[in-house]
Amino acid sequence: MKKAAIGLYVVLTLALMVWGYYQAIYVAPNDAMQGEISHIFYYHVPNAMLAFLFFAISLAGSIGFLSWRRSHPERAQISDAWALAGAEVGVVFCSVVLTTGPLWGRRAWGIWWTWDARLTTTLVLWLIYVSYLLLRRFAAGPQVQTLAAVLGIFGALDVPIVYMSNRWWRTQHPAPVFGGGPDSGIKDPRMLAAFGWNVLAWAAWGLLVLFLRYQVERKHQRNAAAEAQEALEANV
Amino acid sequence: MDPAAQIDHQFVVAAYTITWVLQLGYLAWLGLKWRTEKRAEDRRTHKTR
Repeated sequence: MKKAAIGLYVVLTLALMVWGYYQAIYVAPNDAMQGEISHIFYYHVPNAMLAFLFFAISLAGSIGFLSWRRSHPERAQISDAWALAGAEVGVVFCSVVLTTGPLWGRRAWGIWWTWDARLTTTLVLWLIYVSYLLLRRFAAGPQVQTLAAVLGIFGALDVPIVYMSNRWWRTQHPAPVFGGGPDSGIKDPRMLAAFGWNVLAWAAWGLLVLFLRYQVERKHQRNAAAEAQEALEANV
Repeated sequence: MDPAAQIDHQFVVAAYTITWVLQLGYLAWLGLKWRTEKRAEDRRTHKTR
């Protein structure tokens, strides 16, 4: 039953991805000012939105780990697995944003990169979470999870700064698509539909990958705990 | 086709390709990691039997 549900979810996700691609490339019209290059929007923006969501999941997991690490060790391990999964999947989505953005910028602005507030804060966000993953990969000892949780919380503080950066400062990056004033929002219904489908498709994909990463980490935790137990018993 | 439009098209193809290379590459890496953990688990359960 559980396997069938997962299989159905995977099929639904793949169908959504194909449909989202079709909408973005064949249904959504070219932007009047930018032409075909504007189609990068349908992958760039949903990936950015989901990167924020995954970093928020990492934040919740980090807080959970710090809250429960003494009182409820098992709950703390579950939180830690979610924190790691959120950070890692968030980095993948953020990497997509940081590579598709310059491709779009090169054609729309004539430059690959500029040190404006939106781009710089996004790069800083990516670097913080890459350092989080490096810490988890290379540091050893009982304090690694605690240190990573603290870093995860500080990293998440950059998310609202990235989001607000093109409201607070004058930037090369376009104004927010939604909630950015009277001229913001997508006017063409076909563009809006393509954007909506792609948000849905990437959310389905991202949640699937997040769940897989969480499962792998839980397996790793169980293996590590069992190995530690075996080593203890061998020494007795 | 207008040369500027042709370059735009190539950039869109590049952006979509990079997106999928990153996402599928990560999924493949996750698959390898899953296999490693599964093997470690199997070895352990085998030993305790």
